[in-house]
Amino acid sequence: MEYSKSQLQSFGGDIYLGVKASEIWTILGWNDIRQRYRRSTIGPFWITLSTGILIVGLGFIYSHIFKTTIETYLPYLALGFIVWGFISTVTNETCGAFLDSEHILKQIRIPFSVFVLRVIWRNFIVFLHTIVLFVPISIVFGIVPGWTSLLALPGLLLVVLNQFWLGTILAVFSARFRDVPQMVAAVTQVAIFATPIMWPVSALGDHTFVADINPLHHMIDIVRAPLLGEVPGALSWLVALGLNAVNMLLAVALLQRASKRLVYWL
Amino acid sequence: MADIVASNVSIDIPIYDMASNSLRKMLLGRVGGNFASEGSHVIIHALKDVSFEANAGDRIGLIGGNGSGKTTLLRVLSGVYPPTRGSIEVHGRISPMLDTQLGMSMDATGIENIRMCGVLWGLAREEIEAGIDDVASFTELGEYLKVPVRTYSAGMRLRLAFAIATLRHPDILLLDEVIGVGDAAFFGRAYKRLQGLIERSRILFVASHTNKILEDLCTKLLWLHQGSLVAFAGVHEVLDAYTRDGPDVARERFRQAPSAAPAPV
Repeated sequence: MEYSKSQLQSFGGDIYLGVKASEIWTILGWNDIRQRYRRSTIGPFWITLSTGILIVGLGFIYSHIFKTTIETYLPYLALGFIVWGFISTVTNETCGAFLDSEHILKQIRIPFSVFVLRVIWRNFIVFLHTIVLFVPISIVFGIVPGWTSLLALPGLLLVVLNQFWLGTILAVFSARFRDVPQMVAAVTQVAIFATPIMWPVSALGDHTFVADINPLHHMIDIVRAPLLGEVPGALSWLVALGLNAVNMLLAVALLQRASKRLVYWL
Repeated sequence: MADIVASNVSIDIPIYDMASNSLRKMLLGRVGGNFASEGSHVIIHALKDVSFEANAGDRIGLIGGNGSGKTTLLRVLSGVYPPTRGSIEVHGRISPMLDTQLGMSMDATGIENIRMCGVLWGLAREEIEAGIDDVASFTELGEYLKVPVRTYSAGMRLRLAFAIATLRHPDILLLDEVIGVGDAAFFGRAYKRLQGLIERSRILFVASHTNKILEDLCTKLLWLHQGSLVAFAGVHEVLDAYTRDGPDVARERFRQAPSAAPAPV
């Protein structure tokens, strides 16, 4: 495959060609996973296991703290935690998308977005290994999937897409400013406590606006709520669509602007 | 039309020190401290006003001391370094073999690496599957291809990388001293394989410090000194000047008679 310079540098060209080069980012992403779990007997199912233990442990303790029933609390916690895990890991790892692939970027000219997609892909594989936990959870707590559950699919799509735009932005900035990955790590660390993941929105009492103004809450809820049998609020969809639109424009414009300088920053 | 046209290509590489590569400098600069003066980072002029054309059949050797810009020029040709000023046109499939171990993963097996690196080198899936036997027989790695590359010796690793990198037949081949691979017996076979690849390519660029290799493979030499082009002419003309004259003397002489510099007796 040969990429023409004009195509790569056109508006959105890098992303278009990057998405099309799926044979590159799927194989790189898979290899990242294999490398991480090579010689381990159960491989990536360690993520399933550790997430499962955490959810059950926290579920028991926190349902008492928040004085809710475990039947409602544990599935809520599980879904919030799993979606959050995907969002936070991808956000952090996309910062290094270009930095970690310096060696390749300095030798062959392939679309930059390939390296963001590689991070998304490997974390999507991890996500699939954790979301399966919802199957035993719904059996144990008698959650019957209905038509509403299907809304989780467009929700998830919006989450993944938004992580791609955001990841592209973060990868470009991190290549130029090496403090960005640290800043992102600091923010995501705090965000899990400020977002309704381990605690329900109702715990905010009269101050539910704290959740309403938190975009992370909406991104998580468009996946979590449908699986719990609730239709996500209109505000959540609006925020998710709005974030996607803004981040998409930023990502495309930034990548085009940076594409002629990016390699020199690495 | 020529396959490659470089017009006044200049490459400036910014070097950010710890402080200026961070947001601190930007932020502090805005706040009003006297830490930052915008644009205070160092710039390396890796290439200066380099112009040349290359046509089908050209075998071009790059010579010059360390840091003269040979690898930078190869990166410009491969497309990873967009010129800061000037422009470059390159037509054709390129294999930039600056490092044959491109994308190699130590934890993956030989076969897995063939599939992964093959994709990076721009091969289609069918080409890769068809190439596995070729790599196996050329490298003589046999059963080793089924175990992780980290268990290989350095020589075995180089063999595998070289075999994968040479699977693809490019129009334009860029080499950066890749010929120094493995033991003497393997070197002979690698050299033959490389020659086959060169014969099928339209244009070759090879950066080397070995005169023998340049004389064997090249029809022209491009001499770089501190990022500027000194001479671009026949192999012996340039080699003579390279061993005899300083870059300034040579540049003057080649400028006066670009096609045939006088060869003193």
